Amino acid sequence: MKHFNLLKFTPLPILLLGGLLAGCSSKDESATPADPETQARIEAMKAEVQEYYQTKVSLPPELFEDLEAGRVTQEEVDKRIAAGEFPKFFNFKTPADLPDGLNWKDGSDLPEIGSPKAVKGGTSYSSIQDFPRTLRTIGPDANGSFRTYLLDYNALQIARQHPNSTELGEDGPLFFAELAEEWAVDKENQTVYVKLDPSARWSDGKAVTADDFLFMFFFMQSSYIKAPWYNNFYNRSYRGITKYDDQTFSIQVSIAKPDFATYALGLSPRPEHFYGELGDDFPERYQWRFEPTTGAYVIEEGDVRKGESIVFTRQKDWWAQDKRNIRYRYNYDKRRLQVVRDVEKAFEMFKKGELDAASLSLPKYWYDKLPDDDKLVEGGYIKKAVFYNQRPRPPYGMWINTAKPLLNDRNIRIGIQHASNWELVIDKYFRGDYERLNHTAVGYGEFTNPDIKARPFSIEKALESFAKAGFDKRGSDGILENSKGEKLSFSLTTGYQTFQEPLTIIKEEAAKAGLDLRLQVLDSTAGYKRAIEKQHDIHFMAWGYGAEMYPRYWETFHSLNAYNPDGSIKVQTNNLNSMAVPELDAMIEKYRNSSDTGEMIKLAHQMEQLIHDEAVFVPAFYIPFYRAGYWSWREYPEDFNVMTSDSPSEFSLSWMDPKKKREILDALKKGKTFEKSVKVYDQYKSAD
Amino acid sequence: MRLFKFNPLTAKKVARFKQIRRGYYSFLAILALVAFSFFAELFINSRAIVVSYEGELYFPTYGAVIPGDTFGLGYSYETNYRELKERFEEEGSDNWVLLPIIPYNPYENNEYEGVFKPAPPSFSEGHWLGTDTTGRDIVARLFYGFRIAIFFSFAFLILTYLIGIAIGCLMGYFGGLFDLIGQRLIEIWSNLPFLYVVIIVFSVVPSSVPVSARIIILLTVMVMFSWMGMTYYMRTGAYKEKARDYVAAAEAIGASTTRVIFRHILPNTLATLVTFMPFTIVGAITAVTALDYLGFGLPPPTPSLGELLKQGTDNLTTAPWIVVSSFFTLVTILTLVAFVGEAIREAFDPKKFTVYR
Repeated sequence: MKHFNLLKFTPLPILLLGGLLAGCSSKDESATPADPETQARIEAMKAEVQEYYQTKVSLPPELFEDLEAGRVTQEEVDKRIAAGEFPKFFNFKTPADLPDGLNWKDGSDLPEIGSPKAVKGGTSYSSIQDFPRTLRTIGPDANGSFRTYLLDYNALQIARQHPNSTELGEDGPLFFAELAEEWAVDKENQTVYVKLDPSARWSDGKAVTADDFLFMFFFMQSSYIKAPWYNNFYNRSYRGITKYDDQTFSIQVSIAKPDFATYALGLSPRPEHFYGELGDDFPERYQWRFEPTTGAYVIEEGDVRKGESIVFTRQKDWWAQDKRNIRYRYNYDKRRLQVVRDVEKAFEMFKKGELDAASLSLPKYWYDKLPDDDKLVEGGYIKKAVFYNQRPRPPYGMWINTAKPLLNDRNIRIGIQHASNWELVIDKYFRGDYERLNHTAVGYGEFTNPDIKARPFSIEKALESFAKAGFDKRGSDGILENSKGEKLSFSLTTGYQTFQEPLTIIKEEAAKAGLDLRLQVLDSTAGYKRAIEKQHDIHFMAWGYGAEMYPRYWETFHSLNAYNPDGSIKVQTNNLNSMAVPELDAMIEKYRNSSDTGEMIKLAHQMEQLIHDEAVFVPAFYIPFYRAGYWSWREYPEDFNVMTSDSPSEFSLSWMDPKKKREILDALKKGKTFEKSVKVYDQYKSAD
Repeated sequence: MRLFKFNPLTAKKVARFKQIRRGYYSFLAILALVAFSFFAELFINSRAIVVSYEGELYFPTYGAVIPGDTFGLGYSYETNYRELKERFEEEGSDNWVLLPIIPYNPYENNEYEGVFKPAPPSFSEGHWLGTDTTGRDIVARLFYGFRIAIFFSFAFLILTYLIGIAIGCLMGYFGGLFDLIGQRLIEIWSNLPFLYVVIIVFSVVPSSVPVSARIIILLTVMVMFSWMGMTYYMRTGAYKEKARDYVAAAEAIGASTTRVIFRHILPNTLATLVTFMPFTIVGAITAVTALDYLGFGLPPPTPSLGELLKQGTDNLTTAPWIVVSSFFTLVTILTLVAFVGEAIREAFDPKKFTVYR
């Protein structure tokens, strides 16, 4: 799951089984003198960047909407740009130009996260399911779960939203400083002013400057990175950047959303000196190069063993190590990620002490594979913890493709809703631990519509609804048929092998209501591809939502992401329902451009109601907590973790004492026991 | 009276095969299992064999779904006959239900201690070998899994042999350029990685394809990559026999190529072929089990030995009965078939005293 709203959301990868790991990054290896050809290339790129700074203009957000909807053509826009109608995106001023009366902040008034008891040192051992396909954090194949370790959990931002608070201050969410020394928010002009911490350094020793932020915009807007979603996002979400001096700059955000400051403060710079060789061959050229990072962890040379493991090392004398809100985090000297393709094997390795921790969120692990009376738990060698978090919930459920025959009939979709017995799955398979999801946007506080309830399993209602669509008699196999002899049969695909079992239960139950679901469990990549290529009938998955203030609808429900202008299906978008309802489109556009919290809440509730009425998404379940088992040499803060975290490792709060590890393993051999610890941390428990 | 008579040589081989007790009994055991599997629905099934309701008799096993409404249960989906039986017994009426010995089908989820989780073997519940991770009866899954695997491998055997024998014989008989090119093509073909092809094929097969068609696709892919082995033996066999006088004689009296190959050469190379058959069956069962284990085989929730084996290894410590029963079933089947294979090989061996004795 991804952090903040500056990243494209990806399918939820291995939430339940993934690791309890924290992130890391990499080291520049381009220190060797470049050959003349490369040198020429670097010079050319420098010139190109400067040229871009001079010419790039900033278009108003309405113009993007008009372009998308085909109300204006690109040629007309180009003409208007040439006529000098729009302001420049990159601006250069002097510190004297800074407006007066700015209210500078650094977030030091907020309570600090992490435990003062944390000590540095030791190595943490974790597993990953697949070896990453690239070490880039952008471009083809970079959107996988490994990005989390490189970027999301490691790289620092200008300032970070405080993870223990979702309340709003006068400038929106509450932040603490990371790369910034201080910042100021100008609400009226939706602009954020930033003074960088003068000690901020890239992992290769170079200073982090305002130029790296200018370059970030060039980089993220350029076609070289082969990432259209980011191109679009960095073009339309920002109006421009102004450099005052090497440490000072300001960023203007396009729309004064209630949380607009997040758009600016959540940015991470890109090292200009590293991307000198940028070009059309970027994906291949930078495939296995480690971008210098502002974060704690780097990958040292020789620590990438392809297909086997990756080791991250904490930088010695890391520039931010004594900074408030950072000093008690990133505690391990080394983090070793080992590829273990088989989840069950990884769990056994954990029980043998080869891995430090394992997720116990699935009931079978919590109750059967590591029960409270397990020898390792009884003896206090392994601790168990349940942590209730508060964050947007990944919408696990069945996404119905309305572009498919029969599924375009609302009565059939409603029938499918009533024929899906998620109550039984939650009750009997998840043992009542998980909660029924009611719609796609749960966990957004006021933005969540509390009145919508998922349709209950009901054979009568399902049959009634199917009958309205003409499916009113059962065939010899008990499956409904219509007068044309068509069977009520759809494929149910998923890329989550973990959830094969609950889906077989859904299939068996659906047959009672005369609905045949042909289950197909694919590997995660093939499953995801099936869905975003819109080849599915019904697809089971969840999106990995970040800890955002309000839900997004454009990506998943706007008709622009369902059909091309010529009426063909648009592939490679997140609109898995092929949803194209003009009324909804209008609301999404209004919501997207709205800066009024009250209006946005109202719209969010209305849109959710409309999606519910259309019955395109069968809400399945959400998990109001995460559960973990960890060897007792690993330590967590007294309150275990922070409110919005989605896994124990997200904020890198844990630490260990290497001596204690030896003691515990020794004690295990000798049969000496410790205090048993099975704890529930419910300080953030809430009714979503 | 016998309907047909073996020629003396064959009769001798059959007699010899019967003499080899281990192989012969294994053969009978497999035959019995296969025969039994034709009627498995009468023994392992959630549908009752006979229901007597209000003076009428119902035989639900092979017919269409009988909705619960028929027996006054008040629902339109398939009757739960176990519940029906309990109900009749409670009512004490004249109605009765005769359930199969194992009253579960391989798909239904049964709860254990209120949740869907593996239940240990229990005779009182009717789960002789326990249930799997979602509470499905293991005996039912094993047996229906076996049935699919064995019929799959018979189909596989027939198809690979048809292709292998035809092409092998042709190459051996014609020889020359045809043989040379054929051999090279086979070499190239056999270098394609089978597992990748299966993965690729199944990632492009649309999900609208029903289960039966998916099984046929799997069979086709497996056959496409497995017929080559047989060609080598048939080619050498045909080469050898072609040089014999009787082939020349047949050709001299004007027999057609097809006739020479299939009436004269083939019967004389049959010995090789027959001895390979059981091992091909073993190979096919293993392959389909392995594919299921890896998740590229039959689509869930089709009962399969490989899928059960996978569940077993995943729950080695918490539900050992899964791995124990699936492992022993697989080993037993493969051993039986291998014993038959050994016996056939020995029976067809012209030298009577061999290491197989």
